[in-house]
Amino acid sequence: MPAAPDLQLIYDEHAQALFAFLLNFTRDENDTRDLLQEIFTRLAREPGLLRGAREERAFLIRLAHNAAIDLMRRRGARQKYHDRFAEDELNFFASAGYPDETAFRESLSRALGELPADQRAVVHLKLWENLTFEQIAEVLEISPNTAASRYRYGLDKLRDRLRPLYEEIK
Amino acid sequence: MNDDFEKRLQRQPLRKIPSEWREEILRVAEASTRNSKLETTNSFSTLTSRLSSILWPHPKAWAGLAALWVVIAAVHFATNDSPVEIAQKPETPSSEAVVILQQQQRLLVELVGPVARKDIDRPKRDDVQPRSDRRLEILCT
Repeated sequence: MPAAPDLQLIYDEHAQALFAFLLNFTRDENDTRDLLQEIFTRLAREPGLLRGAREERAFLIRLAHNAAIDLMRRRGARQKYHDRFAEDELNFFASAGYPDETAFRESLSRALGELPADQRAVVHLKLWENLTFEQIAEVLEISPNTAASRYRYGLDKLRDRLRPLYEEIK
Repeated sequence: MNDDFEKRLQRQPLRKIPSEWREEILRVAEASTRNSKLETTNSFSTLTSRLSSILWPHPKAWAGLAALWVVIAAVHFATNDSPVEIAQKPETPSSEAVVILQQQQRLLVELVGPVARKDIDRPKRDDVQPRSDRRLEILCT
C-alpha cells in the first residue's frame, strides 16, 4: 500500500490555485469549498493518486475541473446553472485600495462571469496560472487549438466589455 | 505574446482562500481515511460474527461436513483424469460389448436369414440399348 501523501504540504502548495480556479469556474463559494473538500478527501483515500502525475499542480487542476463538471452534471442543466451564477455578484479579486482599481476589478469579475464556463476556464489558466496552451489542453482534455481559440474569444469579449473603463484608467 | 490588456489582467491579485478552510478541509480528509479503514474492519467483523452465529450451534457437525468436503475434493482431484488425458485415450470396446454384439448378430441371422445383397452383386446387362436405337432398328427392317 502506497504511503499516505502529506496533505498539509499539498494544501499549502496548491489550495490557493485550486480555490481561485474553482471559484472562477463555479462562481460560487460554497461549491468551491465542497469541491476542494472532495479533492482532498479523495487524495487522503487514494494515496497513490498523485504518484504518476508529472506536474502536481496541473494534475490537481484537472481533478478540480472534472469534479466541478461532475457537480454540474449531477445538478443537471449545466448551462442554466452557469447562467444563473454568471449573473450573481462575486468578489473574485482581492479588494483594492483605490476606487478606480476597485471598479475595474468588479467589472472584470462580472465580465468573467458572463463568459461561457469553457472560455472562462481557459482564460483563467492562461492568465493566472501561466499555463501554455498545450498544458491547458492537457488539463481540460481538449486540443491546443481549441484552447487557443477559446482564449482568443474570451479575451476579446473581456476587452470589449472593459474597454471604456480600461481606456479611462490606463 | 501579451499585450497591455492581458498584462493588466494578469496583475490583478486574486482573492485569497479563507484561512479557516485549511484546518476543516484537512480534518475532514484525514477523518475520511480513518472512516474508510474502520468501514473495512467493520465489514470483516460483521461477516465473521454472522458466520459464527450460523456455525456456533453445532460446531462439530459443521467441522465434520467441512472435513468431508475436503476429502471428497481430494479424492476427486486425485482420481480424475485431465481433459487432455481423456482425449488421448484410445476408444477400444470392452470384450463384453463385443460378445453381446456378436450374439445379437447371430440372433438376427436366425430370425431373418442371411441378408441377400443382390442389387449390389448383380452384373450390369450389356444388351440394353437406348430406346431411340431400338426404334431405328425397327424402321430399318
